Amino acid sequence: MRKRILSLLLAGAMSVTMLAGCGGSGKASGKTEGNTAKEDPVQTLIKNTKDPVNLTLWCSETEAYQKVMKERVDAFEKQYPKVKFNITIGAESEANCKDDVLKDVEAAADVFVFPDDQLDGLVQAGALQSVDATYTYDPAKANTKETVEAASRDGKMYAYPMTASNGYFLYYNKNVLSDEDVKSWDTMLKKAGEQGKTVGMEVSGAWFLYGFFSGAGLEMKKGDEDKNTCNWNSTDGKYKGVDVAKAITEICKNKAMVNCVNEDAQAFALDGKMVADVNGTWASGAFKKAYGDGYAATKLPTFTVNGDQVQQGSFAGYKFVGVNAYSKNTGWAMLLSEFLTNEESQSAIAQATGEGPSNTKVAESDVVTKEPAIKALGEQAPYADLQRVGESYWEPAATLGQSLVEGNYKDPQKLLDDAVAGITQ
Amino acid sequence: MTGKIKNYFAGFAEAVRKGDRWTRSSLLLFGAGYIGRGQIIRGILVQLIQIGFIWFTFGFSAQYMMQLPTLGTVQREETFDPATLAKTVNDYDNSLLILLCGIIGIFFILAYILLFFQNTRRVYGLQKRAEAKEHINSFREDLHTLINEKFYLTLLSLPGLGVLLVNIFPILFMICVAFTNYDKRHQPPTYLFTWVGLENFKTLFTSSQTVTFGYAFIRILVWTMIWAFAATFTTFIGGILLAKFINDRRTRCQKLWRSLFVITIAIPQFVTLLLVGKMFGDYGIVNSICSKIGLTGFLKSIGLVGAGLSYIPFLSKPGWAHVMVILINIWVGVPFQMLSATGILMNIPNDQLEAARIDGASERQIFRKITMPYVLFITGPSLITAFIANINNFNVIYLLTSDYVSTNMKFANSNAKEPDLLITWLFNLTNNHSNFKMASVIGICVFLISAIGTLISFARLIKGNREEDFQ
Repeated sequence: MRKRILSLLLAGAMSVTMLAGCGGSGKASGKTEGNTAKEDPVQTLIKNTKDPVNLTLWCSETEAYQKVMKERVDAFEKQYPKVKFNITIGAESEANCKDDVLKDVEAAADVFVFPDDQLDGLVQAGALQSVDATYTYDPAKANTKETVEAASRDGKMYAYPMTASNGYFLYYNKNVLSDEDVKSWDTMLKKAGEQGKTVGMEVSGAWFLYGFFSGAGLEMKKGDEDKNTCNWNSTDGKYKGVDVAKAITEICKNKAMVNCVNEDAQAFALDGKMVADVNGTWASGAFKKAYGDGYAATKLPTFTVNGDQVQQGSFAGYKFVGVNAYSKNTGWAMLLSEFLTNEESQSAIAQATGEGPSNTKVAESDVVTKEPAIKALGEQAPYADLQRVGESYWEPAATLGQSLVEGNYKDPQKLLDDAVAGITQ
Repeated sequence: MTGKIKNYFAGFAEAVRKGDRWTRSSLLLFGAGYIGRGQIIRGILVQLIQIGFIWFTFGFSAQYMMQLPTLGTVQREETFDPATLAKTVNDYDNSLLILLCGIIGIFFILAYILLFFQNTRRVYGLQKRAEAKEHINSFREDLHTLINEKFYLTLLSLPGLGVLLVNIFPILFMICVAFTNYDKRHQPPTYLFTWVGLENFKTLFTSSQTVTFGYAFIRILVWTMIWAFAATFTTFIGGILLAKFINDRRTRCQKLWRSLFVITIAIPQFVTLLLVGKMFGDYGIVNSICSKIGLTGFLKSIGLVGAGLSYIPFLSKPGWAHVMVILINIWVGVPFQMLSATGILMNIPNDQLEAARIDGASERQIFRKITMPYVLFITGPSLITAFIANINNFNVIYLLTSDYVSTNMKFANSNAKEPDLLITWLFNLTNNHSNFKMASVIGICVFLISAIGTLISFARLIKGNREEDFQ
């Protein structure tokens, strides 16, 4: 109010008063005051909804996703026949979801699908509506403990878990490599090399590199104020950072080892050259085609550190459905998110996309347990860590990975010290 | 210059001193002076501008301008009512809007002050005309001058507005952001950002183990300059030589050759660059050919390719990538230069060439002494533009080195990599790391370099009438 009085005064001084007061100080102020009657909230919401509800949903651009989401959204609309919905489904690559939402939160979708590593960034920017209350089912109970934990920050849930298969594991061709061969990097590389074949992994990818260090018991995670804590350069403990670094370089020096990204790996596998690759569920189609009846998947192999066999670790990843905190229809957006992540929807999504569900009941069903890739993820799960990583991790770690792959560093301790300084900055 | 300004204000003072009631009332109501002299429509229009300004300022921009010193104090808070699924949001401040609307508001006030002086002088001019019983233009006559004597004003108004909207405001805004802490931890509308003074400029020149902007900035700046020079020079020379070959009388199928090269322009750069980037990738087709014919092994044995690599790192190692992007750019950029060089070569005065031939000059001498100086003179300004454009040549670098992973921790810690130009670094900082404050600082540097470079070289080129040298 003070602003307006001041502007009136000033305007008066300028002698042209006729129009000055009329300009509204055009700021959005919250006006949505709810009915306080103690009815079923959903019924109240339906009663209070007079205008058509406009919602936008962003999910992966793949055909499988677009199709199954369309079907689920139709089912959602049918559930509330009294309300008129205009739900638009947008194609949005999940990897870019956070960036695109944060470009203009107010213009972004009401509901969007995103991978769990973007949760922190989205919460930090205040873009996510927290799950303060649930209406049709309880996501905190229906989903596995790990996924719920991943969807929460400081004990508060910020998203609805949808899938639990964003991790990595080993694909291999069982016509070339036996179950025993793929138990350790040493035997796997030896056998592949003997037959003139190769094994792939994106060692220079920060996401994959993590598995070696975490496997050896070294730590890297987000601490206070979004800074990472990291002891990859530790000089005491059972395995030192330098030992792990040397072990990685040893693996990469092997002639049968190829450090390559997903697309290259798929191409090599289809060529018949690459007989095993560390990759995720998104590549299952390509490897199925490449290996035919030899298609198999399992947990990651062990690797040699100081003469011991150490199980390689990994990141476990999940996909969530989030509600935009700036949505104009928060209530309906929340109900839609609940619907898209309930048992029925998760089962449909798992069938359509081949991604493992986070819902405990669906995870035990036949649809899922028959798929080797999802089974392999389950086998790797005990060695997988929740991905809680500050942004300063990615570039220094990728640089560290690239250096380890090439192996032409002189002082591994200094290399690790520099990397840790960058990761923890 | 100062004399002009003095004169201007002397004119204004005189208007205030000697003005009659119409002129003086124009000090408050801009339109009065025109209406009083019978220029009704003009008076109303000017008056409407004044009212519009006051309405805009006090109705809209004043609230933002008053918050400019702090950039907002009330952070967004929301409460969600689980019983009704309804949400209440407080009346929060948006730092971004405050900054943007504040700048626009200040700009309008400056424009208003200018209009105030200008208007008073003009109205006084009208008064003098009326006193001297001279003719005063009607509105129709005023409009008429706009398409006749003052046609330049009509022509310039639209570009002028465009420059203001797409150049001045964004640049002012960017400069302001460089003095704030607008980064991933201070993102509006949810969070506020505020002024931090010269903090970011200090960061840009700091080099420690973790803050490596100083280290990366100098190296990227040097590489940007090398790149801009090499890219401009190679495509320029390549284009002229190519045009010379194609235009030679002894070349057959000139049109065919020319069209073939023009086709490379017709294919969108994105497609070409992405494809070429894949071809030269670590596991791309060029690498598999090289390793089959033994080139990879040979380069390894002479030490050009690191021992740990099983491929030639065309686009994935410093040095290699630097040379490759320049080479690939030749292929992308030469056809453009060829086209413009063709036009210039055709326009070289024939008498000069013939005179040289009669004097017994060889083809090489003619090329060095006549053709090149002529072409250089004609293309000078466009070369400078090309140089500036290459400083900001985003496409080539970004698309070719998207898979590049640096092995230098100091680059990685400031989100840069060796083959980055300032502009791609800036893009990475904003787009992937929401580090708007540092990106703005770098943006200012790019702007200064481009602006100063352009001004100096244009001033030198235009100096004197050098055209006579070639007559």
